[in-house]
Amino acid sequence: MKKFLIYITKIILVTILIAFLLDGLYTYIFMHSNNRGKIEKVFNSKDQKYDVVILGSSRANNHFVAQMFEEKGLKAFNYGMSGGHLFEASLMLKLMIERKYEIKNVILEADLNLSNDHQAEGISALFLPYIHNSQIIKEHFKEENDFAELYYLPFYRYIKYDNKIGFRETLFAAFQKKTNTLDNLGYYPLVKHENANMKNNIVNLNPLIHNKYYEEIKSICKANNINFIAVMTPICENTKGMNYFEKVKKVYPEIHNYENVVIEDKYFSSCGHMNDAGARIFTAKILNDFF
Amino acid sequence: MFFNSIAFAIFLPIVFFLYWFVFNKNKSTQNALLIIASYYFYSCWDWRFLFLLVFSTFLDYYTGIQIEKGKSEKSRKFWFWLSILVNLGFLGLFKYYNFFASSFSELLNSVGIKASPILLNVILPVGISFYTFHGLSYVIDIYFKRIKAEYNFVDYSLFVSYFPLLVAGPIERATHLLPQVKVKREFNFETAKEGIYQIIWGLVKKVVIADTCAPYANAIFDNYTSMNSFSLIMGAVYFAFQIYGDFSGYSDIALGVSKLFGLDLLRNFNYPYFSRDIAEFWRRWHISLSSWFRDYLYIPLGGSKGGLWMKIRNTFIIFVVSGFWHGANWTYIAWGFINAVYFLPLLLTKSNRNNIEDIVLKRNFDSVKVLLSILSTFLITCVAWVFFRAKTISDAFFYLKRVLVNRDFSFQYLDNERYSYELLLLIGLFVLIEWNNRNKIQPLSGKWSMLKVALAILAIMAFGTFSDYKEFIYFQF
Repeated sequence: MKKFLIYITKIILVTILIAFLLDGLYTYIFMHSNNRGKIEKVFNSKDQKYDVVILGSSRANNHFVAQMFEEKGLKAFNYGMSGGHLFEASLMLKLMIERKYEIKNVILEADLNLSNDHQAEGISALFLPYIHNSQIIKEHFKEENDFAELYYLPFYRYIKYDNKIGFRETLFAAFQKKTNTLDNLGYYPLVKHENANMKNNIVNLNPLIHNKYYEEIKSICKANNINFIAVMTPICENTKGMNYFEKVKKVYPEIHNYENVVIEDKYFSSCGHMNDAGARIFTAKILNDFF
Repeated sequence: MFFNSIAFAIFLPIVFFLYWFVFNKNKSTQNALLIIASYYFYSCWDWRFLFLLVFSTFLDYYTGIQIEKGKSEKSRKFWFWLSILVNLGFLGLFKYYNFFASSFSELLNSVGIKASPILLNVILPVGISFYTFHGLSYVIDIYFKRIKAEYNFVDYSLFVSYFPLLVAGPIERATHLLPQVKVKREFNFETAKEGIYQIIWGLVKKVVIADTCAPYANAIFDNYTSMNSFSLIMGAVYFAFQIYGDFSGYSDIALGVSKLFGLDLLRNFNYPYFSRDIAEFWRRWHISLSSWFRDYLYIPLGGSKGGLWMKIRNTFIIFVVSGFWHGANWTYIAWGFINAVYFLPLLLTKSNRNNIEDIVLKRNFDSVKVLLSILSTFLITCVAWVFFRAKTISDAFFYLKRVLVNRDFSFQYLDNERYSYELLLLIGLFVLIEWNNRNKIQPLSGKWSMLKVALAILAIMAFGTFSDYKEFIYFQF
């Protein structure tokens, strides 16, 4: 039995050693990658200057045409992240501040995402390779249930989110394989789908009275003299529960309601996402009203 | 509690410690601990079905004794059939009732008689097909006086409910496991080390091969109408490796865990994808089930002793029943039927036992023939797997038809945001490793074993899939 216990101890030590080595290798690769996603672009950069930074979920990523800002002489980038919540938008802004970005305006898409203040695991995982190299990221995750495992167990975060930051992603990052996430200054145009679902039901959705991360973004902007513009973006007209946007307006009067700027189905790729034509009409309206 | 879960990683060392350091006085204390651990393990799925497991165990224990004690043939027969009917009754009720009810209703509707079936809203108790077959073989063996009845309820319960084999086999025989349970186990370092090898290799098969192939196979099978020929071929290959990695990985872990407790379980897989014909495949795939059906169905039906038609009838019965054992769906029956059709030419030409000896390759034409026969056996196995995996038989036919008529062999981007070709290298590497180890029971044993263990752990951590897919396929059977 003694021999067996020694043998098992050896295997455990080998496992720990492998975990440390893999953790170091994966983190090193992510620390030296900057053409795969918006998070690593921000993390591996510093001292950027922007007139406009756009934040939010896919309804920001697919709705704000960053080139149209540039055409007006405004340096802009769309940092909206498909699938993301305000948890990630807030962390992204904090990271920019940590990286000493100078930002004049932040446009935040704040509508459906006000209904929760959880992390979107698929997106928040993309911050995790840097958790040991950024106090901001560490602090942001500190209140999450599995923080201890993610932070202290070597390689655990890469195992837990292997489909986001696992071997495949690390391999592509190591070979600097480019994605289209950073094309078009971060804006991802959608096309019109013939058989797209043009119905939505948001009857049961309610904005949180005090969304922690929305308030956080607001206060970061205030503390850093950034002009904060929060907007609700369009949704297709065949949506049940349209009064959600009125409820948002009641709770957060400072958020500008642009939900009904684009209505017709021909401007939508799916019910919650405009196509490129719709996004251009919407962006033109924003530019006209704020810049 | 899955073998590849954190919960099991905590459960196993605790039971191991208690088994060898606290409850190691005699075989009774060892067995008592294993029974408690097994019931806890089972109740982690659904504690309510624990009552069914205990009832089923008690039924076979009691009827086994009554059969042995029975003075008249009539009395022996009574207890024998009681056990058979109740066991199959439970299996039928939980697993097959809804299938038969809805199929019967569809049949009536098709001839113009309106009928709506009364369906049961019950979930399938995990492992019911496995522990029912344990009990059945035990009672049948007593009835035919091959073994003596077990009078110690704890020992018998352990034979049925032993946690490594409880939910997905291997399907044990009383003649093999009960004698081991009857004696105190002494710790053996070499056996335990072999167990660790087998657990680690089983995990490689499960998380690196099966769980990695699963999202690709799912993305292809779930959207087969928009897939091209290349993707559809890859879908069948991915599923072939998914189910092999999943089930043989589970069996390896089960055998390895059991070795830690000094109990040897029946080998369930022997590199089936290196079979040279379908008969050899069935001697290497899910061995404990194949041999169960051979001993308790095929031979009692007359086996291959009768005339040609009897042999053919028995072959089809055993394969169709084996397919139906997997699940209450026509697709499984079709899968069994197809395998019987594959087997038929070998039976008719009396060549079903041609490939008994180990595969040896040399630089000659015969070796090319061997490789081609392995490849063709794998190919027809993949065709059968399409029926096993498809939701309906017509889906399977359309899937295969599309492979033939589409003829587009370009790489497709799948729903899981991956390209259809991406796992080819991984599978190729796995096949090479398996080929290299094809004559070994423990791929990690032998020279450089610690290095092999380290590489296997590295593979699990770096290449394993942990977030997309977890369950073992055979738990649903």
